[in-house]
Amino acid sequence: MDQHLALLPILLPLLGAAVAVLLRRRPALQGAWALVIMLSSLASSGWLLARVWSSGQPVVFQSGGWPAPFGISLVADLLSATMAVMSQTVLVAGILYALGSRDQVVGYPAFYPLFLTLSVGLTGAFLTGDLFNLYVFSELMMFSGAILTAISDDRLGVEAAFKYFYISLLASAFLLLAVGSLYVSYGTLNLADLAWRIEANPAAPLLPLAIALLTATFMVKSAVTPFHFWQPDFHTASPTAVSAMLSSVVVKLGVYGFLRMTTLLFVEQAPAVRGLLVALGLAGILYGGLSAAGTHNAKRLLAYSTLAQIGFILVAIGWGTPLALAAALIFTVNHSLIKAALLMLAGAVASRAPVKTAAFDVITGLGRQMPRAGVLFFLGGLALIGIPPTNGFISKMMLFRSGIEAGQFTTLAAVGLVSVLTLIYVIRAFQRIWWQPPLEEAKVKPVGDRLLAPALLIAAVLVLGLWPDPLIRLAQATAAWLGDPQAYVRAVLGG
Amino acid sequence: MELLTALAIGALFGIAVFQILRRNVIRSVIGLILLGNAINLLLLSTGAYQGLVPAYTDAIGQRSDALPQALVLTAIVISMASITLVLSMLYVLSARYRTSDLDEINELQG
Repeated sequence: MDQHLALLPILLPLLGAAVAVLLRRRPALQGAWALVIMLSSLASSGWLLARVWSSGQPVVFQSGGWPAPFGISLVADLLSATMAVMSQTVLVAGILYALGSRDQVVGYPAFYPLFLTLSVGLTGAFLTGDLFNLYVFSELMMFSGAILTAISDDRLGVEAAFKYFYISLLASAFLLLAVGSLYVSYGTLNLADLAWRIEANPAAPLLPLAIALLTATFMVKSAVTPFHFWQPDFHTASPTAVSAMLSSVVVKLGVYGFLRMTTLLFVEQAPAVRGLLVALGLAGILYGGLSAAGTHNAKRLLAYSTLAQIGFILVAIGWGTPLALAAALIFTVNHSLIKAALLMLAGAVASRAPVKTAAFDVITGLGRQMPRAGVLFFLGGLALIGIPPTNGFISKMMLFRSGIEAGQFTTLAAVGLVSVLTLIYVIRAFQRIWWQPPLEEAKVKPVGDRLLAPALLIAAVLVLGLWPDPLIRLAQATAAWLGDPQAYVRAVLGG
Repeated sequence: MELLTALAIGALFGIAVFQILRRNVIRSVIGLILLGNAINLLLLSTGAYQGLVPAYTDAIGQRSDALPQALVLTAIVISMASITLVLSMLYVLSARYRTSDLDEINELQG
C-alpha cells in the first residue's frame, strides 16, 4: 500500500480529467470538481513528501509489479516529491484563479480537463524513474499547454501556441534521439539502472551525444537563453490562469532535468554541463533582465523576467556544491510562487482594462482603482527583487551564500550586478500601473478577475519569507540526498 | 540490411532537416513528419541485433529486442497526435494570415 502513494498525485488528476470531460455540460460542477481533485492531489503529494522526508527513503512504485529495470518505476525521492508539491500548490492556485476569472476561455468545456492533464504531465515527469516515461509525460504536458494557449481569448494565442508546439516537438525529437542512443549503449532506460551502468562504462561512444541532446531538450523545456525565443510570446498570449502556470512551474521541468542529469545520470561528466549552465545562466540573467526592462507589456515583462530568474537557478546548479543545490531548490520553489502571483495580478489588471490586454499603453494608471492588487503586486515585486520580509530575500541570500562558500567570486559579482536589473523592471511595472495617472479618461471595468488566488500565493510568499526554516532544511536534506546517487540506485534497484 | 537501414535513416534525417529549415510552413511540417519517422527507424534499429529475426522466436541471441518496438509504437501514436495538432493550428493560422510564409506570421512582437 505504501508504495502506491507515489501513484496518487498522477492518477488523481488523470481520473479527474476523465470525469471532468463527462461533466462538460455542467460548467459550475466541472470547475468545482477540478478544484476538489486538484486539492486532493495536492494533499496526496504533500503526504508523499512527508512520508519521504520522515523516513529518509524514497517511495518507489514498480508498476505492474515488475521489478526495477524491467518495469516502469515511479520514484518519489525528496527532489521529485518537493517538485510535485510545489507544482501542485501553484496548480491549485491556478484553478482558483480560473474559477474567479472572467475570460471566455475558462467557460470552454475542454478547459478544466486540459488543465488537469497539464498537471498530470508535469507531476508525472517529476515522479517518473524512466527516461521514456519522462518523454511521454512531458509530451502530455506540452499538448495541454499548447491547446490551452491556442484557445486563449487573445487572438494571437494560436500563433504563440504554434511556435511553442513546433519548438517543443523538436525538443521531443532530441529527447527521443537521446533515448535511442542511451538504449543502444546501455540497454536500459530506467534512470537508476542507467546511472550505475554509465558509471561502470563511461566510454560508450554515444554517451557525449546523449548528454548533448538531453541538455538541449531541457534547455528548450526551461527556455534557457539561446532556446528561449518562443517563451515570451507563449506566456504573454496564453490565458492568465494558464500563463501563470507556464511561467512558474512548467518551465521548472528543465531545472529538474538538469538537477537529475548532474547529480544522478552523468555525475562524472557533470563538470562540462555545469560550466555551460553557469555561462548560459549568466547570459539569461542579463538578456532576460534587459529585455524585461525594455518591453511594453506587463505580462511580457514577467515572462522575460522568468528567463532571468531561471538563469539564477542555472547558475546555482552550475556551482554544484551541496549548498548551491539547496539554494537552487529554494529559488525554484520561491520563484514558482512569486511568478504565478505576479502574472495573476497582471492578468487581473488586464481583465479590468477597457481592451483586454496587459500592454502598458492600455493599463497605465488603471491600478489607481484597484489598490488591493497594488499592495499584492508591491509585495510580490519585493519578493522578485529579493527584499525582506519575503521569500525572494531568502532565495537570493542562499544563492549568494553558496556562491561565497564555493569561492565563485567573479560569477557572484556578475550575478549581483546584473540582478539590479530586477529592481529596474519591477519598479517600472509598478510605476506604470499604480503610480502614473491614466493616459486619458480610461473606463475601468467595474469587475474583473478575483484576487483570491494571488492573495493566497502572496500569503505563502510572506510566510516562507518570515519562517523559512522548514524549506531551508528540506532543501538541505534534498541536496545531501542528491550528493549520494548510489542511494538512489539502491533504493530503486534494491540491494 | 544494416547498411541499407543506416543509409535510409541518414537520408531521412537530411531531408527532414532541410525541409524543417524552409520558410514555407507546410513544407516545414512535412520535415517534422520525416524527422519523426527517421527517429522511429533509429529507435527500431537500436533493438535489432540481427534485424531479421522476430522477437518471439526461440533462438536466443538471434532475436530482436522487443522493447524498442514498444517504444516506437508509443512514439508513433504520440507523433500522430502532435502532427494532427500542428496541422489544425496551421489551418487556423493560414485562414487568418492568408499566407504560408513563416516570415509573415509575425504579429507577436514587442
